[in-house]
Amino acid sequence: MDSDRQYCMGCLRTIPEIIAWGKADDDYKRAVWAELPLRRQTVHFDEEE
Amino acid sequence: MNALPDSIQVFERGWLSSNNILLLGRHDTAIIDTGYLSHAPQTLELVRHALHGRHLDQVINTHLHSDHCGGNAILQAHYGSRTSIPVAEAEKVRHWDVEALSFKATGQRCDRFTFDATIAPGDVLKLADLEWQALGAPGHDPHSLIFYCPQERVLVSADALWENGFGVIFPELDGLSGFAEERATLDLIAGLDVRLVIPGHGAPFNDVAGALARARSRLDYLAADPVRNAQNALKVLLKFLLLERQRIALADVPQLLLAMPVFDTANRNFLHQTPEQLGTWAVSQLVRAAAARIDGEYLLNE
Repeated sequence: MDSDRQYCMGCLRTIPEIIAWGKADDDYKRAVWAELPLRRQTVHFDEEE
Repeated sequence: MNALPDSIQVFERGWLSSNNILLLGRHDTAIIDTGYLSHAPQTLELVRHALHGRHLDQVINTHLHSDHCGGNAILQAHYGSRTSIPVAEAEKVRHWDVEALSFKATGQRCDRFTFDATIAPGDVLKLADLEWQALGAPGHDPHSLIFYCPQERVLVSADALWENGFGVIFPELDGLSGFAEERATLDLIAGLDVRLVIPGHGAPFNDVAGALARARSRLDYLAADPVRNAQNALKVLLKFLLLERQRIALADVPQLLLAMPVFDTANRNFLHQTPEQLGTWAVSQLVRAAAARIDGEYLLNE
């Protein structure tokens, strides 16, 4: 997870998003996907997860 | 189509961690496979979040590769969950025999865990208030189990069948049989009435016939020349190290490969090259597949 324990450092999803993913429709997934570039710019990761 | 009952939740992870399947019964809860060690805190967080305060009663493993059981220890420490493993692995886990368990051979890590019960092919489990048949699925791993629920027509296929292929056929690297077993496992799956496959990696999928056709084609390709299986294993093992570490000094690659006994054996059996040659080849393959990139003296995960 990132330094704020909010996003997975591999896929940039939140814990609730990873849980919802298995039953989510494509619209949900696309909406998360669309946010990823912004998240990638703004999050910080510790050296180790 | 994809609809799973609310009592079955899939945490679709990635390639370093396997998927985790959370099974919520009226009176008990269970998880099948627990991901990789370095993701263990996230696995615990996912389980806690999804359980909404309930207890995790059981941990079950399809097979004991580091990306499927790396979260066992943290879940046992937190919940004391009753843990069931494939019967053939019992003695190795009881004595934590690192030579016989796969972690050392593949250069991977796993925290020590214990078990309370074993599962044999043919056993029937009650999970999420549904009956599941444990089936032997050798090929990728000689002792792997898959779990089939006839009522929901759902198959937990571990690394025996993915939407595009299957896991490395490890026994063949040691000069043992694995292709024939994988073929038999695919035949076994073809004989089941399945509407949804939950694979060990990747999204759940419906097109079982298509996946079986792709897997058989891939198996034919690998079995026609075992060097291909060894080369594929080399690429996969290097990518796995890269997923874990995110970056590796190019100069360290040959040494890292040498440190994996499974690779050393595969090289002696099939590839017959120096570690430097193989390191250079594996790096070039990952770069070509856009699975890695070179930045100065380092190989970076992509």
